[in-house]
Amino acid sequence: MSILIDENTKVLVQGITGKEGQNATIAMMEYGTNVVGGVRPGKAGDVVEGKPVFNTVKDAVSTISDITTTTIYVPPFVAKDAMLEAIEAGITQINILTERIPIKDTAYCLAAAKDTGACIIGPSSLGYINPGVCRIGVIGGLKIQADDIFTPGSIGIISRSGGMTNEVSWQIRKAGMGQSAAVHVGGDLLMGTTYADLLRLFEKDDQTNAVIIFGEYGGSYEFEIVDLIENNEYTKPLVIYVGGKFATTLPEGMNIGHAGAIVERGKGAVEKEAALSSVGVHIAEDYEQLAELVKPFA
Amino acid sequence: MNLYEFEGKHFFEKYGIAIPKGKTITRFHDPKKVYTELGITNVVVKAQVLSGKRGKNNAIRFCSNADEVAEAVVDLFSMNIRGQYVVAIRIEEKLDIAEEHYLLITYNTNKKQPMLVYCSEGGVDIEDVSGQKIFKQLLYIRNERIPLVGKERIIEVGNQKNQASSVLPFEGGGLDDVVQKLWSCFLNEDCRLAEINPLVYTTDGKWIAVDAKVAIDDDAFFRHEKWKELEPRTMLGRPATDREIEVQEIDKGEKYYQGTAGKYIEMDGDIALILNGGGASIANMDVLNNLGLKPANYTEYSGNPPREKVYELVKIVLSKPGIRGLWMCGAVANFTNVKETFGGVVDALDEIKPTYPIVVRRAGPHDKEGMALLKACGERNQLNMKLFGKDVSMGETAKVLADMIQSTKEKS
Repeated sequence: MSILIDENTKVLVQGITGKEGQNATIAMMEYGTNVVGGVRPGKAGDVVEGKPVFNTVKDAVSTISDITTTTIYVPPFVAKDAMLEAIEAGITQINILTERIPIKDTAYCLAAAKDTGACIIGPSSLGYINPGVCRIGVIGGLKIQADDIFTPGSIGIISRSGGMTNEVSWQIRKAGMGQSAAVHVGGDLLMGTTYADLLRLFEKDDQTNAVIIFGEYGGSYEFEIVDLIENNEYTKPLVIYVGGKFATTLPEGMNIGHAGAIVERGKGAVEKEAALSSVGVHIAEDYEQLAELVKPFA
Repeated sequence: MNLYEFEGKHFFEKYGIAIPKGKTITRFHDPKKVYTELGITNVVVKAQVLSGKRGKNNAIRFCSNADEVAEAVVDLFSMNIRGQYVVAIRIEEKLDIAEEHYLLITYNTNKKQPMLVYCSEGGVDIEDVSGQKIFKQLLYIRNERIPLVGKERIIEVGNQKNQASSVLPFEGGGLDDVVQKLWSCFLNEDCRLAEINPLVYTTDGKWIAVDAKVAIDDDAFFRHEKWKELEPRTMLGRPATDREIEVQEIDKGEKYYQGTAGKYIEMDGDIALILNGGGASIANMDVLNNLGLKPANYTEYSGNPPREKVYELVKIVLSKPGIRGLWMCGAVANFTNVKETFGGVVDALDEIKPTYPIVVRRAGPHDKEGMALLKACGERNQLNMKLFGKDVSMGETAKVLADMIQSTKEKS
């Protein structure tokens, strides 16, 4: 079993003719993802990596049946249009790589997605991977590197950081374990798909025995996990590292790292760890401890 | 970016929210002259800093003649308020206050929507007010006006969700008008936060924003030409340093979104840092902290920045005097082209030829070629440099750097 995607998922790439979009198309196809086409206004009829290019998402879904998923590689000033177009065309799973999207645009798209029940993973998300099956986006990098880092196993991974998605997955692999899925949720202030959303999916996934989260100071998404566990909506072992303890020395309102990592009193790494620890979440002192802490549950 | 009070008030004015009559002065203005021009006897003199709690920190003075104003201005400019540098001073009319209220619009990140927060007891820290007295209402980003009247609105009182049973004193009155204007300001100016505290109701029946706390969303700059006029700033209690200002330039221009290489915060330590990725960089700041090493800066580049951006960044980071070691550390990259970015590092190292220890840890696309470039650069410049790939963890390489610095110290 797997979460979010499987080998049959039909995937569209918005921004397929750009350099990063093209790289993502190659990365997905060589890993076994069923990429069926791409979108670039004005480029209908072009072919990228053997896949047809359409002017709009609407054109793509009316030509090819059952496209459920799109991944977006466009500049920030057109990201809102790209997401809305996908939502309006009935796409239910939207991954978006674009960084530096204005918060207002993200909020607008998340509201629109809520209306249709679509899920947005990102913004600023490099994607997600079901090891040995397929991936959305470029998570893991070139196939030779992804094969080195990822192998099917029982550990679910969620990370605010793209690099740390790989790094943590690699620590898991080095310690003799494998991953059920690894999801880069992105580091923005507004997170389309949160830790809690994904933990619900991992709870239902037979392949997953335990989950690791790489979290960060700032924002309050980690606190949602506390409610989830208290309500018995997530019952498997969970190990978390919350980065940014050094940030207690920074002035309030200051931002270091991802856009969502803003110093707010009461929302620092220390407070988050205390709240999570109170409901039985295992806390890693540093990220290199994550593999060691999760190993007994693999 | 957080705005100073006077900047926030300019935003408010633009949307028709009344502010007290006043003027903003810098160190170059003559306060007596400005006071006389203002032509108001009783004034409030307020230090402009990026921090709240000014009242409690003696950063707000009441004056009623030119000499008092001049004295207050000199004193305020000499102060450091909660670690913040005073960039300007606002002199404005003292109002006859009947009531002080509190009004805020910001994002509720869990609900992923903006939220209105209102309290009839303003003028104090909102944290000090009982939760029962605070009204919260989620706002729908697609509504240009807030539907303040009617049953469809949801009000959260003291975090308890209620259907509109408690009625806010908005309807019909001037307060409703201020709320709508603040919402327009929030939406149109791409604010991440807009707070009026206190929102004053004067004895002659006017609503006036006596303070302004506004934070704008830096990523929306492309649709706000005016924002270019805002002075560079840092929240670290000092003016932005030359290096900080210089680095900000790197991510400007047409291709600003192609990789991020414009992050630099100058710090007191002596370990130069060039980290990669928002997440790995903060985790590695923790690592450094735990080892007792002191960063000279916080810097990270991520995404897929072109060689030139990385070159500029490395040059500026290494231009700080007193550096005793350089740690360039990143996780296993997804799509950063290590060869391309290390090309920029090599260009800078060839120029600077540092003599202090350097430790590099990185993996990702084209890392073999990237490492080969660095290795050759180290050899031709006889750098004291060690290179690591993904088989050695990031944390371990910090310890390697600490040891190299220690042995350099012992030799000298």
